[in-house]
Amino acid sequence: MAVLSIPVERYELANGLRVSLSVDKTTPVVAVNLWYGVGSRNEREGRTGFAHLFEHMMFQGSEHVAKNRHFELVERAGGSLNASTWFDRTNYFETVPSHHLELALWLESDRMGWMLPAMTQEKLDNQRDVVMNERRQRYDNQPYGDWDEYMQAMVFPDTHPYHHTVIGSMDDIAAATLEDIGDFFETFYIPNNAVLTVCGDFDPERALGLVERYFGEIPRGEDLPPLPGDPTLEPSIGRTVRKVVEAEVPLTRVYMAARVPPYTDEGFYAAEVAASVLGTGRASRLYRSLVRDRRIAKDVVTFAFPLTTGSSMFMLWATGLPSVTPDELETALDEELQDLVTVSEEEVARAVAMTETQFVRGVEQVGDRADMLSMFDRYFDDPARLNSEVDRLRAVSPGDLKLFTEAFLGTDNRAVLAYVPKGAA
Amino acid sequence: MKAASFDRSEAPVPGPIRRFDFPRVTESRMANGLDLRIVRAARFPIVTAMLILDAGEWAVDSTQAGLAVLAGDALEGGTARRSATELAEALEGIGAGLGVTTGWDATTVTVSCLAERLGEALALMAEVVLEPTFPAEEFDRVRDQRLAAIQQRAMNPSTVAGDHAARFIHADGVPFGRPVAGTEETIESLSGDDARSWLGERYCPGGSGLVIVGDIDGGELETLVEGCFGAWSGTVEPSDPVAVTPRHERRRVEIVHRPGAVQSEVRMGHVGVSKVTPDYFSLLVYNTILGGSFTSRLNLNLREKHGFTYGVRSHFGFRRNAGPFGISMAVETAVTADAVREAMFEVETLVNDGASADEVDAARDYIVGIFPLRLETTSQLASRVGELIIYGLPDDYHATYRDRLRAVTQKETTEAGRRHVRPEEMSIVVVGDADEIRAPLEALELGPVEVHELA
Repeated sequence: MAVLSIPVERYELANGLRVSLSVDKTTPVVAVNLWYGVGSRNEREGRTGFAHLFEHMMFQGSEHVAKNRHFELVERAGGSLNASTWFDRTNYFETVPSHHLELALWLESDRMGWMLPAMTQEKLDNQRDVVMNERRQRYDNQPYGDWDEYMQAMVFPDTHPYHHTVIGSMDDIAAATLEDIGDFFETFYIPNNAVLTVCGDFDPERALGLVERYFGEIPRGEDLPPLPGDPTLEPSIGRTVRKVVEAEVPLTRVYMAARVPPYTDEGFYAAEVAASVLGTGRASRLYRSLVRDRRIAKDVVTFAFPLTTGSSMFMLWATGLPSVTPDELETALDEELQDLVTVSEEEVARAVAMTETQFVRGVEQVGDRADMLSMFDRYFDDPARLNSEVDRLRAVSPGDLKLFTEAFLGTDNRAVLAYVPKGAA
Repeated sequence: MKAASFDRSEAPVPGPIRRFDFPRVTESRMANGLDLRIVRAARFPIVTAMLILDAGEWAVDSTQAGLAVLAGDALEGGTARRSATELAEALEGIGAGLGVTTGWDATTVTVSCLAERLGEALALMAEVVLEPTFPAEEFDRVRDQRLAAIQQRAMNPSTVAGDHAARFIHADGVPFGRPVAGTEETIESLSGDDARSWLGERYCPGGSGLVIVGDIDGGELETLVEGCFGAWSGTVEPSDPVAVTPRHERRRVEIVHRPGAVQSEVRMGHVGVSKVTPDYFSLLVYNTILGGSFTSRLNLNLREKHGFTYGVRSHFGFRRNAGPFGISMAVETAVTADAVREAMFEVETLVNDGASADEVDAARDYIVGIFPLRLETTSQLASRVGELIIYGLPDDYHATYRDRLRAVTQKETTEAGRRHVRPEEMSIVVVGDADEIRAPLEALELGPVEVHELA
């Protein structure tokens, strides 16, 4: 029996905006969530980091909403709000007490339809400074903070839209202009490039009427331009790519990555289960081997990125205990990857059980649930797919993992990035 | 751009408010003293069980600093019935994650799983807490991991700033002055025997509570809990009180030199106030205005006006004893002194002039409104109910929480702030490049400026 049965009703406005409504009256709160089909993959050369900077500008007011007013109104309503930019999409979301649903729809529609009149050079200068400080805080002043810059550049060729990070380079952030804001808005922030989810305590008929009222008159935009560069990829890197970085880090850490099938491909489920068998929990292979038995690692992490363009990225890393060398860590990780051709039914069952619990916990809040519904709408044109996702993971067999391991986790498809403490190399 | 077909310039009027009641908590006390609280929340087939032990780091002697945290970490090392790996397999085989977190006031053991697995998960939780064996090999391994984590903290500017601020704020001997997880020196000295004797003193049903929230049947549950925890016995002895006293009476600037740093991590704070202060609700409102929300005075000034930082927050560390009050931010090196000046300006202005009526209304509305948003999950609910046990709060605390917030006045807000926020007593700790920031910080004339080398 499916562990989840989340109701979803779907609609599409005449301007192309896709709408999902999911009612849950357990708590008097409601989430409004928008996924725009634009992310760092859409950035042109010389403008890395722009999609994210643009996301910041979306909070700087719109024609009918003054600067700071967006935050003030949502906070005063007792709501929470934020946004995030990722490779393939940008999402905007608020959760508010349910009687404030209309407020959230008004604010989101105003910036979807009428953002540009509120843009000024002063606001852009201010948010450029904020984003540069975000970059300093998360990347430049943080041990291992720039790992994904190195890793993405190693896994994806410089013609591919995933070659650069979401945060972008300081020079490119500094180069952004108001004209760029205008172009980006007209190109990507259009109703036919967005999905809207309302989840929680509301009356669907009234909500649909409000969505139509606030979003219905925003004109449909033109079809999106092709992605910059070349989004096609060989399924494998073709060799082992390496880099050693000497940096202000306390402990050696080795990152490994591989190209794997995109999130929207059936083959991705095996990647998720493989990541779980390797690194979720203390019975997982890497924890047991590197942390518990051999005592060479302080921690291990595995992750299958949900990326959609050409390939996705399978990641793992291990932080060494003092005096452990990068070679020791790499050899140990390599052995575990090779061994993944043989996995027991019991291990797969355990990985799926852990994932299932995490999955249910991941939809407990209407905000998280709305975000998942938007994602399944955006990537699969099917928000209700959320309900059967665990079943698809459960269908992955040890044989599937063997095939996945042989196809993707070999040394012919690998990027290895080692951080070593400065002066220790 | 298309003109709007109706007047969009006014914010919509909210609809009729829907009532929110904190879910009903069923309370009982077992014969051995364990305080059992059960909340039925049936939206999803999931459950969270949270065991709250009166085993916080506050009660640990300074020579063994980190013992409560390390003992909690080492629980994963195995039980009288299972090795470490067998234990992990048993838990994860039923999809149950078991987590242990230790803070100043309590050690909390939490397990979340599908509701149909609760019986098995509770039995495993009881086994972990009642029958841990701390085998030497596992204990040493966990200790090595903790030592490595301490080394990592020492190279992360943010944790360096937090740890130094704690030390500069508190007088010697106040537990809050040390890192909660201990130091290399104390951790190296600890053994499995230390963990065993700590558990003997502090992991007792008398003084502990078990909170279970989820899609569960209350009637059968008491029998289940009795089966798992009935044989447990003992009571925690209260520890000697320690006064939380400051290291300095007057404001000072402490620079921790990090050559070449592109940002400065700034902490500005002093000894704060206990969670059980009568000013608690007024201070929630006050802090929201100062630096507890996006639209706070600090954030609107330092981020949205000046772009000095990605974000700035102020925070009261409400604990059983007086936890610190503080402001934290990471700012670009070149504007470090400007940022400190503006932050100090906002603190002083709010203390001197008080909060406006509109600010108090807005802050109150925010915290009142956001209350149910943070009670959606079984683990959020369990944590909230757990607070009652940790801080000895009355049973109607959550039922009256929003009414008590709504009753806070402008005058009470301003006065509570004046009592508990004292800009002239702040320790200002800046982890950054002293060569760049020392002279501008000295020019602010906030107090003596001292430069410390990074250990």
